[in-house]
Amino acid sequence: MNHLIALLAHHGYAVVFWLVFAEAIGLPMPAALALVGAGAAVASGALSAPIVLLLAILAMLLGDLVLFDLGRRMGWALLGFLCKISVNPETCILRSAESFYKRGKLTLVIAKFIPGLNTMAAPLAGSMKMRLAQFLRFDFAGAALYALAYGCLGFVFRDFLAALTNSFQAAGRLLEQTVLIAILAYVVYRAWLFQKYAVYRVVPRVQVEELARKLASDESAGVLVMDVRSHGYYDAEALRIKGSIRLEPNNLSEELKTLPKDKDIYVYCT
Amino acid sequence: MLRENGFNAFVIVGGLAAWKRAGEPMEPVPHDDLVKLPTFS
Repeated sequence: MNHLIALLAHHGYAVVFWLVFAEAIGLPMPAALALVGAGAAVASGALSAPIVLLLAILAMLLGDLVLFDLGRRMGWALLGFLCKISVNPETCILRSAESFYKRGKLTLVIAKFIPGLNTMAAPLAGSMKMRLAQFLRFDFAGAALYALAYGCLGFVFRDFLAALTNSFQAAGRLLEQTVLIAILAYVVYRAWLFQKYAVYRVVPRVQVEELARKLASDESAGVLVMDVRSHGYYDAEALRIKGSIRLEPNNLSEELKTLPKDKDIYVYCT
Repeated sequence: MLRENGFNAFVIVGGLAAWKRAGEPMEPVPHDDLVKLPTFS
């Protein structure tokens, strides 16, 4: 931590820029914490507010532009890749897409404050063929809001920090504790998510070879193979397991009414 | 949700990618099932 603080003290602008950029391209970096720290540094006169703001916005726009461009070129394949590290990949994609359906372009303005969606918004906008100028406009608003919010947080609490820290070392200890608390809160949050989605992990799994054997045997009449990929996965060249039928995950409650209960149902996604 | 509603459901390990890797038969998604990604343009 002392090393990080020393970095902030001596290379504050570069640290802010690269941390924010790294988070913008999807890496798990504490950009918000860096902005809070930068805000406090601005309050103490160590950094310049306009430069910090400019660099933070520029870093976010550049990072988002990378994902926007990749999203435009790769479409849902990129979204699937980005969601692989999520607790629930399918929910990750659907939740992000749903946000766009509900809020439209405004999603880009608020996305940075929503874990998960912050990384997905730019590539989703690219996948959805949003015009570049339009994307930059909304993304700029979101980036400015994000940088200002966390920067101001650090700026406002500078007195609180100063009261607790009379020296650089003490500040280091405080920041260390803050980071530890933040990490702990994050771990608890992930554990809660893990627990929340635990029910989806108890569904029995079957290996491809086993299912293929069943389909080739007399048991095939009692087998139903269902493609539960969300519609976004499809493109003109899309393939699926031979003989499988589509089960729209967004309309599951209705689809269930038509399914036979006397058959074993095997579901798959990508 | 399938199991909650009384269906005997299983998940294919590895999904479509594993099926493809194993060389099992595949088919094109029917045209009627294709839904284009929503776009802003």
